[in-house]
Amino acid sequence: MQTKQPKGLGQPRRPGELVFNLLMVLGSLYLLWSAYGISGFEALSAPGAVPMVTTAVMLLCTGLIFLETLRKSKITAEKLERDILPMPVIVTILAITGYALALKPLGFLPTSFLFLTGLIRYLAKYSLARSALLALLMVAGIYLLFRIVFTVLMPPGIVPEAEVIAWVKSLFVARGN
Amino acid sequence: MDVINALLIPILDLKLLGLIGLGTFAGIYVGAIPGLSVTMAVSILISFTFSWAVYPAIALMIGIYMGGVYGGSRTAILLNIPGAPSAIATAMDGFPMAKKGLAGEAIGIVTVVSFLGGFIGILALAIFAPLLADFAISFQPRDYMMLAVLGILLVGSLSEGSLVKGIFAGALGIAIGAVGMDPLTYTERFTFGTSGLRSGVSFVAVMIGMFGISEGLMQLHTVNTAAVKQKISSIIPSWSQVRKHIPLGMQTSSIGTVIGALPGTGGDIAALIAYDHATRVTKNPEVPFGQGAIEGLVAPETANNAAVGGAFIPMLTLGIPGDAVTAIMIGALFIHGLNPGPMLMVDQPNMFWFIVSALALANCFMLIFGLTGIRVFVKIVELPRAVLLPAILLLSIVGAYAVNNSVNDVYWMLGFGVFGYFMKLYGYPLGPVILGVILSRLLDDNWRRAIISDQESLWMLLKGTLASPLSLVLFVSVILIFVSKTPLWGMIFRKRTA
Amino acid sequence: MLMKSVIGALVALGLGVVPALAEYPAKEIKGIIQWGAGGSTDTVARAITPHAQAVLGGTIVMQNVTGGVGAIGLNQVANDAADGYSILFGAENPLLYKVMGLGDKDYSDFVPVNIIARGVPILVANVDAPFNTFPEMVAYINANPKAVKFGSTGPGGLPSVVTAMINSKTPLDVTFVPYDGDGPALTALQGKAIDVMPAVLGAAIEGIRGGTMKPLAMFDIEPSPQLPDVPTIVSTNPEFAEMLPWGPFFGVFVKNGTPDDVVAKLTAAYAEAATHPDFVALIDGRGFKMLSLAGAEAEEFLTGWQSTTSWLIHEAGMTKASPEDFGIVKP
Repeated sequence: MQTKQPKGLGQPRRPGELVFNLLMVLGSLYLLWSAYGISGFEALSAPGAVPMVTTAVMLLCTGLIFLETLRKSKITAEKLERDILPMPVIVTILAITGYALALKPLGFLPTSFLFLTGLIRYLAKYSLARSALLALLMVAGIYLLFRIVFTVLMPPGIVPEAEVIAWVKSLFVARGN
Repeated sequence: MDVINALLIPILDLKLLGLIGLGTFAGIYVGAIPGLSVTMAVSILISFTFSWAVYPAIALMIGIYMGGVYGGSRTAILLNIPGAPSAIATAMDGFPMAKKGLAGEAIGIVTVVSFLGGFIGILALAIFAPLLADFAISFQPRDYMMLAVLGILLVGSLSEGSLVKGIFAGALGIAIGAVGMDPLTYTERFTFGTSGLRSGVSFVAVMIGMFGISEGLMQLHTVNTAAVKQKISSIIPSWSQVRKHIPLGMQTSSIGTVIGALPGTGGDIAALIAYDHATRVTKNPEVPFGQGAIEGLVAPETANNAAVGGAFIPMLTLGIPGDAVTAIMIGALFIHGLNPGPMLMVDQPNMFWFIVSALALANCFMLIFGLTGIRVFVKIVELPRAVLLPAILLLSIVGAYAVNNSVNDVYWMLGFGVFGYFMKLYGYPLGPVILGVILSRLLDDNWRRAIISDQESLWMLLKGTLASPLSLVLFVSVILIFVSKTPLWGMIFRKRTA
Repeated sequence: MLMKSVIGALVALGLGVVPALAEYPAKEIKGIIQWGAGGSTDTVARAITPHAQAVLGGTIVMQNVTGGVGAIGLNQVANDAADGYSILFGAENPLLYKVMGLGDKDYSDFVPVNIIARGVPILVANVDAPFNTFPEMVAYINANPKAVKFGSTGPGGLPSVVTAMINSKTPLDVTFVPYDGDGPALTALQGKAIDVMPAVLGAAIEGIRGGTMKPLAMFDIEPSPQLPDVPTIVSTNPEFAEMLPWGPFFGVFVKNGTPDDVVAKLTAAYAEAATHPDFVALIDGRGFKMLSLAGAEAEEFLTGWQSTTSWLIHEAGMTKASPEDFGIVKP
């Protein structure tokens, strides 16, 4: 069996690989059903035509991939918690989720500062003060570039930054006069 | 004489020269930072330069445009986050080079070939503009469709390891590109009844997630190992090295110019098709494609910079924008009291030659600014990973947010980041997903236009294709490239090189 | 926490030192443009706003928030506070959202600050088309069913409304090729991918002047001052007069509930900006008709437009719900 398979298939199955590939099959099936729901077999030019072809291709491919995975050896030295989802990866994903949740209510400046401080402290194991200082510098840099130079409006949250900017501007205008 | 006078305007006026230089410099950074786009910067400049005269305003915009298209390669090479969609193909071989400590060399060669590409695009604009414009607008929906198919066939060269996984990834990309309200019929597709999905999934969020976040998560496995030391001895490429790539660069620049001139396709698609071209014509790359092949940098970077000159071709001759940036510049010309259209060349010939000259200057500034300061840039990736990664993640989040000011896009970025991370772990290539997203609308919209125009009949579509010389050439190319990439051929070829 | 109190102190100080800040506009105003950069709405919004800023004495930060036929941008402003710091630059589309099933909000949730200008529809054909006038086109189509390709841009857009007008008088058997905007469709027209396109004059005017497309009929009652030689539809087919004048428009809006003094300030600023010679020249040059309506006049214009157009496209079978369901009276 093993010798007949193309190169690369001889590797053992990775932890979680079967589940992931099964999810891909189910996901493709769901998307194909959803694509059928767009316009059915109405016409070659229907908005659902290309989505149906692509999702059908997806289903076919994931089916083949799944069968291939089934044939792979189950014996592996890899562990899910070490090689697939180690702690830093989980923490980082949670941190980004937390960032997105806090962005609107808390505002860009405090959220970014907390995010960077926490993540640098956790990953680099620097002292809190050093992490905070680094975070402050980076947030200041990004804020200047995005908010001041490119006027991208970040959610202000609890920081009345627009008022502060207006106030700083008014100082300059006053001096100019 | 008038032509020469117009060409000399930006060269002799120190203020204009300075603005082009400033614009190019700023553009490199706009291009390099994901989430800041040239489109956005030029839009802001419309308000900013509102009270200026038209020449300085256009000079600044041209600088930003030229610098921005080039700047996208920086973060693509250093961090695997393409700063702009046109730098996606650059990441595929640029980032592997950075991993080997060759980021400086990669940026150096990219700078030089971007200059070459930019130069050829400008030359084409100056000499062949009316001719190329007529050719570009003669593209019918079926031709655009076949162009998209040509692009999609690139999946074959992007699928390291498993072609089936590559095809799946490409199809997934096309499906992602279809999410939202269909712009042609306003039918909802893959929205699952949620209004949040109506506007579709932000392409930049998918790109940053799939490239930046998934790579970032991957690097967390080895967060405490030291970063690769970057060699900074050979930043400016030797003439012999440049000369070796000139033939390929000329071909891919021509591809870039033509695709740039097509209304509806821009530097991103030009770069991908050029990359595909490189994988076909380069018989024996020193390093395989996808692992740091110089040819994989030369092709997309010449093409996307050549596309800049190309995009001005229909804009200046017909008033038809070649891409999103030239569309905004048309608006800017209107606001400044000019009327871009077929009569612009007749009424305002100076404007044409002024833009040609300004583009050429911006291209030279790009070379100068590009080659200086590489050392500092390269040092960034030598920062401790545990500090660099959080910073990259924050920049990615802000970038994804900034495109539409939407927190939803941050979730999408994260979702695709995590999804891409798992895909990487289980041996799926990510390049085809992005390829699919980029080409999705080009393929889908033009397929529908083509088949509607031919009364829903495949037979009539085929007849029409065979009757038009342009369509026939594209059709034959599609068939030939497809045959050369069938799984059997691919497997034999791969075994030989492996 | 420290940072927050420092900033708080700074602000308190700032407000104390410069009492004038309490007046509108005390900070940057966010201007949301419903359509993409480079489009007509975008160009008009960006061209008028600097003049309005000068009158207002504040900064308006412009952003394009696109998607969902403009509904994403509209909803964003509708979800912000009604304090005048979030203003919408919109086109006519929201008035059809309800009947098209694209959203549950329209301009009745907003106060019009200024209805800036209106576009004039024009029917253009590619230069090789075997007809030169509207009656010739009708005759050709009747002789060659399905052979003529019309560009379209999705239900509710200008081409669909003009097509509905034509069909309500002289039903045409043509093939509709869909595009995602009149820009791409007019490009396709010049490339001969389509034969006829109902477009807004502003998008076609330079092509007509340059001879890359030919005008068939102006969909207005009187000839356009920019192209006086193009016949109006009424001159050949007077039965269209009852539906005209009609056209897409651009306006500036704030959310309902915005304080009256803020609305008054914005209205005054945009009304004055609309008279600036540079802006007037832009509007004329692009073939638009200046309206600059505010207050009751603007409300009346919106109601009338909504009623005419909703019923027209409803009778053409393009809607998801009847205008009656939303209390839109039949004209």
